[in-house]
Formats: sequence, structure tokens, C-alpha cells
Amino acid sequence: MRPWLSALLLVSVYVLVMTMTHGHASPHDAFLCDYVLRHFHDDTGAHNAVAAILLNYRMYDTMFEALILLTAIVGMHQFLPRRADIEAGEEARHG
Amino acid sequence: MAELHPTEESLVLQLIIGLLYPFMLLYGFHIILNGQFTPGGGFQGGCILATLFVARYVVFPVDDMDSERMHIIERLFLVLILVIPVLLLFTGVVSRYPAYRPLYLMIMDLVIGVEVAFGLGVAVLRFAFFQGVGQTWRL
Repeated sequence: MRPWLSALLLVSVYVLVMTMTHGHASPHDAFLCDYVLRHFHDDTGAHNAVAAILLNYRMYDTMFEALILLTAIVGMHQFLPRRADIEAGEEARHG
Repeated sequence: MAELHPTEESLVLQLIIGLLYPFMLLYGFHIILNGQFTPGGGFQGGCILATLFVARYVVFPVDDMDSERMHIIERLFLVLILVIPVLLLFTGVVSRYPAYRPLYLMIMDLVIGVEVAFGLGVAVLRFAFFQGVGQTWRL
């Protein structure tokens, strides 16, 4: 019974959120897209709009994207055991 | 890990990966340096460069790389990623000298690529040797 209730809750929340956002969808104005596509070469010197956005228009986004990788590795260093830890654990278990 | 001699691994793997190794290096730097002309760039090319570490692990699964040093290199390049735009882009130097814009894009792509390569390399090697002794993944 309980899995069905939670599934029902999930589906109803999904339908509710979709109807709410569907009703309030504003017509999409593509002025930023037009601006970038027209001016990116003059603004940034890139030959590729994606590179222009990544490395110039939204550089701060790229900077913090690179920080995410560091965060992941710091987390791994913190939580994965080192070789010395594993060997110490083996010795403690056997001896 | 048990002492593993390199020749214990499959000869086919060793030959093929040895053959492909320089091409993987070349392809990774090609993707990175052409980031401003074609789709791709630092992150994608860095992932391709990180496959070099995976390939080396597949052929020679011995934990003899200093992942601490790789992590230090990765952090060094991350500092460059944070410092170069602050000094050159946000101060308006890049927009004042249009001739140097492609150079700036290329340097940023290169720095991001090397950072991602070392970061993913550290991650892959840490997970690969996580189990520790004698439990390496073999093809």
C-alpha cells in the first residue's frame, strides 16, 4: 500500500508542478541569443560561439566549473582510504 | 598488490595501447588547441588526455604514480584558471587589445585542459587503486 501511495504522491506533485509552470510560460524572447550570434566574433575574437560564451561572456561560470573538479577530488582524498590505511587495517585484522 | 610484471598483461593490449598512445596525446591537444575554432575545448580535450592515465592503468596496473604530486599540479593549474581571467578579462585588458584575444582563448583552453586531465587522472587512479592489494581490474 505504502509504495503505491508514495508513487501517487510523486505523480501528483509532478503533474501539479508541470501544470503550474505550463500556465505561466512566458513567450521566449531570443534577444540574448541573437546578440551573441551576431557579435561574438567582434567581442571575443573566437571563431566559435560556444568558446566565446565559455571563455569570455560567462568566464566566471567556467571558473567555478573547474572548482567543482577540485571539490570532487578533495572529497575523494578525504573519504577514500590511502594504501597505508588499508595495509594498517589488514595488519590489525590479522595480527 | 601482488608483484605484477608488465609482461603478464596481454600482449595485444600492450601493443595496441602503445601504438595508440601518441595519437591519443595528439588528439587531446588537437581538441584543446582548436577549442576556439571547432566544438570542443579545454574540458573535452582534458578528458581525452585523462584517458592516457586510464590506458596506462589498463596495461600496467601498478600504483607507482605519485597522485599527491598530480593533485598539486592540478591545483596549480586551477589557480591559473582563477587568476588569468581576473587579471586579463575582468580588468578589460583582453577587450582593449583585440590582437591578443585568440591568444587569451588558447591559453585558457590549454590551462583548463591540463587541469581537467590531471584532475580526472587523479580521480581515476584513486578509484582504481581504492581496493588496494591484489584486486585490480583486468581485461
